[in-house]
Amino acid sequence: MSGVLVTGATTPLGLALIEGLLAEPELLPILALGVEPESSLPRLPPSDRLHYRQVDLTRARAVRALLYGEAKELGIHAIAHCARHRRAGDRGRRVYALNVECTRQLLHLAERHPSIRRFVLRSTADVYRVAADQPVLIDEQHPIRISTRMPQWLRDRVEADLLVSTAVGQSPLSIGVLRFAELFAPESGSQLFDFLRPGVCFRPLGYDPMLHVLSLRDAVRALILALRSDAHGIFNIPGRDILPLSACIRLAGRREIVLPGPLLSPIYGLRRFALRAQFSYGMNEGRFHFSGVLDGSRAAEELGFRPRFYANFDEARAG
Amino acid sequence: MARLPGMIARRVLEERELRRLSRMRLRDTGHGYDPLGLSPDWVAMASGLFRPLYERYFRVVSQGAENIPAEGAAILAANHSGMLPIDGVMIYMDVLRKTHPPRVLRVVGDLFIPRLPFISTFFARTGVVAGSRGNFRHLLVEGELLLVFPEGTPGIGKGYRRRYELQRFRVGHAELAIRHRVPVVPVAVIGAEEVLMQIARVEAKLFGIPYLPIPLLPFPLPARIHLRYGEPMHLYEGTKPEDADDPVLLEAAAARVKEAVGALLEQGLAEREGVFK
Repeated sequence: MSGVLVTGATTPLGLALIEGLLAEPELLPILALGVEPESSLPRLPPSDRLHYRQVDLTRARAVRALLYGEAKELGIHAIAHCARHRRAGDRGRRVYALNVECTRQLLHLAERHPSIRRFVLRSTADVYRVAADQPVLIDEQHPIRISTRMPQWLRDRVEADLLVSTAVGQSPLSIGVLRFAELFAPESGSQLFDFLRPGVCFRPLGYDPMLHVLSLRDAVRALILALRSDAHGIFNIPGRDILPLSACIRLAGRREIVLPGPLLSPIYGLRRFALRAQFSYGMNEGRFHFSGVLDGSRAAEELGFRPRFYANFDEARAG
Repeated sequence: MARLPGMIARRVLEERELRRLSRMRLRDTGHGYDPLGLSPDWVAMASGLFRPLYERYFRVVSQGAENIPAEGAAILAANHSGMLPIDGVMIYMDVLRKTHPPRVLRVVGDLFIPRLPFISTFFARTGVVAGSRGNFRHLLVEGELLLVFPEGTPGIGKGYRRRYELQRFRVGHAELAIRHRVPVVPVAVIGAEEVLMQIARVEAKLFGIPYLPIPLLPFPLPARIHLRYGEPMHLYEGTKPEDADDPVLLEAAAARVKEAVGALLEQGLAEREGVFK
């Protein structure tokens, strides 16, 4: 494996990925991109191989200059595109620019780039439709969640995913789209994590669906395996934890109260409004009623990825 | 709450049966559930709770249980009757008791099941799955034992006057049996038609349920239920997995299963001495 460019380097996933990449002995330089200044990032490990650059990815010209400047000089071979807006409540053009336009720009620039050959997108299983009439086991051909009423947080994720997925096989790049199960880590944009923050969690009366939860360590392993591989296409990245919603609440040390489903949307709407919380019941209504777990057999066969680590539910307790 | 099913099971089942049930095969994902939500504690609880119905109320008698494969994927295909899926519950109980180590039957239900509050959770924990192709395929790949009612809702909702008239058999089970090279065991249920006699139905769309059945009596009659398992049918013999896309072949294969179930039904009805005997 040669040089890697990592976007979203200052997120928990980005930082963990950089640490993981630095532990790979055969790896050449890492060009890490984040929006924060380097001085505000004490967690970045010191290494000659790590080059951190503060870049606003929504500025197309700055991204182009970096890719055709420093990335070219460093011989960057692969991009791990992990940057995306994490706050579910935010919306607007700037959010869209980061979630979708930046993905489009990076992909197009990489296609013409002299050294970049691999593009890995961190996507999410939120793009799948979880419904009563759909299989519990979700493979890569599962129907996509598309609706005009979807909040921007979801719409952007679906658009970015499809944007890259449709380039598979048509682009000169080798492309891997990794659809992660719920990445359970603080500051990762996890809806489940935010749901489990308060001392009391409400869940819909009469339903206790199975959820799939991915640990940060496994997410990093999957990304590194995808960067090492040349495998094309979409890959579900399942987690080690497959458990009912009630078990998630119990493991996080929270009290659960079951209420009729129609009451939960206003309750959590009020919480969002009053506390600027991120969890939206409407966005999770499908998977809080119906089971949906990822079938990771394709990732196992082609990337060699099998989840190993349980998610740390104590983090939600601490949060 | 999570421990409640285990506690109930320990109260209603004796130690020996609990030990036997603990040998059931489970693809545990690390939290005591399989990926589709099956939990051994819930299976044990259901076994304990349904036992009085199985042993004393419906006094189930079965023949041919040796035809149930002891291991590996297989599909049990049964006639459907009786307004409520009491037939499914009795086959589930029978298979759990007649297989050693016990096999949990994965009953393939209708697609509206996940919409039903409480029932959806109970069903998922005890092994029932909604009949989507993906669920079906996953269970066969995992080597599970499935129960399907190829007649679907028309079988259960046909009304008392048309009892023991087999409805059209859908072809899904034949397709997956051919594609995944698994045997189909025909099963006849005799007696469930008389348990709850449907005299009318009200068209309704509550939770996706196609209609509300109106029974003659407000409680199930204690008709004796007879189960007959036929010899496994290897529908895939002489075919290739890709033949599962041939609609003519599938119709013929499903018709063979229907014929086998029909023959078992005829035999059972002829030998039955009375509804309650």
